[in-house]
Amino acid sequence: MALSTHTTTTDFLLPSIHSAPPFFTQQLHPASLSIATEQWIQLILKYARHRRLFTIKVEDSEAPGNNWDEVLRNERINRKVLPSYLTYILAQMVSKKLAVYEPPKQDRSVLIYWRLPEEWAEVLHDWVSSTGNLNTIMTFYEITDPPIASPLSGLPIPLLRQAIAILSRSNRAQIIAIAEGEGVRFFPSTGKA
Amino acid sequence: MSLRKFTQSVDGTIPIQALMYNDEELISTQDGVGIYDGLQKSPDHPSGTVHVTNQRLFYIDATKRASRSFFLELSRVSRTDYYAGLFTSSSKVTLHLSTENSAPEEPSQSGFKSWECEVCAYRNPPGLSPSASRICGLCGVPRSLPVTISSSNVPSEVPQSTLASASTSALSQRSRKPSAIACPACTFLNHPSMQTCEICSTTLPKAVGVSTHIEAKSAPATRPTTPGPDDDDSESKMLKLSFRRGGDKPFYTALKRSLKGQAWGVAHPNNGNEGVRSGICECMFSSLTLHSNRFLLKAGIMQVVETNAQHRDTNMSNALQDLEALMVKAKDMVRLAAELNERLTASSTTTANNPYSSSLSVLSSTSTEPEEATFIRSSLSQLGLQMENTPVTLDMMKDEREWMEQLARELANVLQGSEKGTPSIGGMMKERGIIALDEVWGGWNRARGVALIPPSTFLQVIPHLAVFTTPTITSRTLNSGLAVLHTPPYSRAAFAARICGLLALAGPKSTTEIAQEEGMTIGLTTEMLNIVEEDGDVCRDDGQSVIQENKGDILVLGEVDWWANLFSGYTWDGQE
Repeated sequence: MALSTHTTTTDFLLPSIHSAPPFFTQQLHPASLSIATEQWIQLILKYARHRRLFTIKVEDSEAPGNNWDEVLRNERINRKVLPSYLTYILAQMVSKKLAVYEPPKQDRSVLIYWRLPEEWAEVLHDWVSSTGNLNTIMTFYEITDPPIASPLSGLPIPLLRQAIAILSRSNRAQIIAIAEGEGVRFFPSTGKA
Repeated sequence: MSLRKFTQSVDGTIPIQALMYNDEELISTQDGVGIYDGLQKSPDHPSGTVHVTNQRLFYIDATKRASRSFFLELSRVSRTDYYAGLFTSSSKVTLHLSTENSAPEEPSQSGFKSWECEVCAYRNPPGLSPSASRICGLCGVPRSLPVTISSSNVPSEVPQSTLASASTSALSQRSRKPSAIACPACTFLNHPSMQTCEICSTTLPKAVGVSTHIEAKSAPATRPTTPGPDDDDSESKMLKLSFRRGGDKPFYTALKRSLKGQAWGVAHPNNGNEGVRSGICECMFSSLTLHSNRFLLKAGIMQVVETNAQHRDTNMSNALQDLEALMVKAKDMVRLAAELNERLTASSTTTANNPYSSSLSVLSSTSTEPEEATFIRSSLSQLGLQMENTPVTLDMMKDEREWMEQLARELANVLQGSEKGTPSIGGMMKERGIIALDEVWGGWNRARGVALIPPSTFLQVIPHLAVFTTPTITSRTLNSGLAVLHTPPYSRAAFAARICGLLALAGPKSTTEIAQEEGMTIGLTTEMLNIVEEDGDVCRDDGQSVIQENKGDILVLGEVDWWANLFSGYTWDGQE
């Protein structure tokens, strides 16, 4: 049976292995399992970046009607990922530091790092500099929901905090308490040292 | 008048069943009956219930049951008349009574007393009718009067009883109650029908009972205060039953039947003649006459008992003699068997160089076989049994090693069919390349039939099996611990290669399909496939991952489909 790639309605190119029924089963053979899981992680990260999705939950595999339907289900071959297998995949992602449990201390929902927090920090600083907001105090809302769409639109607050924390470590940002809650002031980079 | 003369008062409050003797039966009952004493209506008995039994006729008064009820012995009825009735006159039955027929000297009460037969010492139970209680229920000897019993049979008791009666006479006279006999030992007041005390079993003084009874007889409670004129004409000797509420006809037929039956006379001895005996009595003591004294009778009984014992003795000794004879015969049998044994051994030396038993040549080529083995072999061949099917046993072998080898050879025959024998028989593994060990063990022992192989020996034999089989049969233990015997195509590598080829050629297959393909059980196939999966040659597609269970063709939920391994060597070909 020849397997082929498939382009979804959201213009995402699914890999050919997504058309193979064994891909949706948690394999017992360790080598097969690690390869399959690797492919799953890659698929989830790429799809999340394509759709700008930041979280994935185990519930997403239990019932249709959410953002992940195209990946976690394949109606063409009548297969879906079982929640138990998705739980295993998420655990693997967390252990590889490609995701983090959000909220913490549970294993059914993760925040996906399709960009690592360090990458997000750079993206954030670049955006602030390009929009001329250096040295001004900005609220979290102004960053995640700007009037003009930006690479940071819809960024979850926990991820934003991590990025700011990374920037403040290199003295490029500072958390300031303001009347509405918290604000942040960015500083120009000092020679990237 | 006749009513008082012939009837006896009875307490009508007691149910009729309790009033009857043990050997008496109720035949008919009619209520609404009045009594005529002679030709006149009896004023005291206007209406009541009449019961007729096979011995007596009871009248139970409707109003004053206790005082006005009476019974009449049917033995006194000489003749009956029937009057059908006319207009207001109700139908009547006339009973003509006679005095001559029977005037029992014994009191009727004697029927209610238990008594001991002086001949056979049988204790006759109370409650029999007077006629039946006159003879012993066991030996049929007529009973002598109670007075004579106490005087003649137990003379030693006489002084005691008189003494006892003397000592208790005051008490008994004071109480004036014939229903209580004071025990001379414990003073318990016993019922008059008791012969021994209910408490301490002391013999009760009969004299007291008799004397009270005599008193009662001389002045019975039923005796009227003013006796009427005692004329002896026919009128006074009749009694009329007036059926005021009908039912006369069936009652009259019942009465006639009862009178005809003469139940009172069946066991009744002729007056003054003691010669009437029961049938049993006659056959038992046919040589004896009852007129001789009763001691002779007693001796006759003893003689019969002795004869019985003697018979039993003879039977027993006969049986023992038979048993001894059998033991002697058994010795002969053993000797015969030994002789046969010798003869067979002798003949086996001749069969050794006999060419017809080819199978013998395998094992009997060595002339150093133990004697037992020779014996078994030779006797079997003498009987025409084929040696091929004979199970190998330890006593045929010289040592452990040869024993194992012979067993392995035998097992190989069981599994693959005999090399030399008819090929049609076939072995257990003729069609199958793989078979579970327990099945082999069971099949082998069934084939042996005798001298079954224990599992431990069986496991020892398995390693030797490869030498004697073509293709080579080896054993293998699967993951679950299931041990199997298999031919080379079912070794680990060969099976995996075959499955991979199958999947590559025909696409994914379910466990069931593979099991069908390989001709194995599903359980065994699952085990084998799990091993193949372990090697990473296949991958699985769990049926639980389907979105819809019945989309297109029917999918069995939970069934695993097997695919060739897709993952090894796969590189990402999706969106970058």
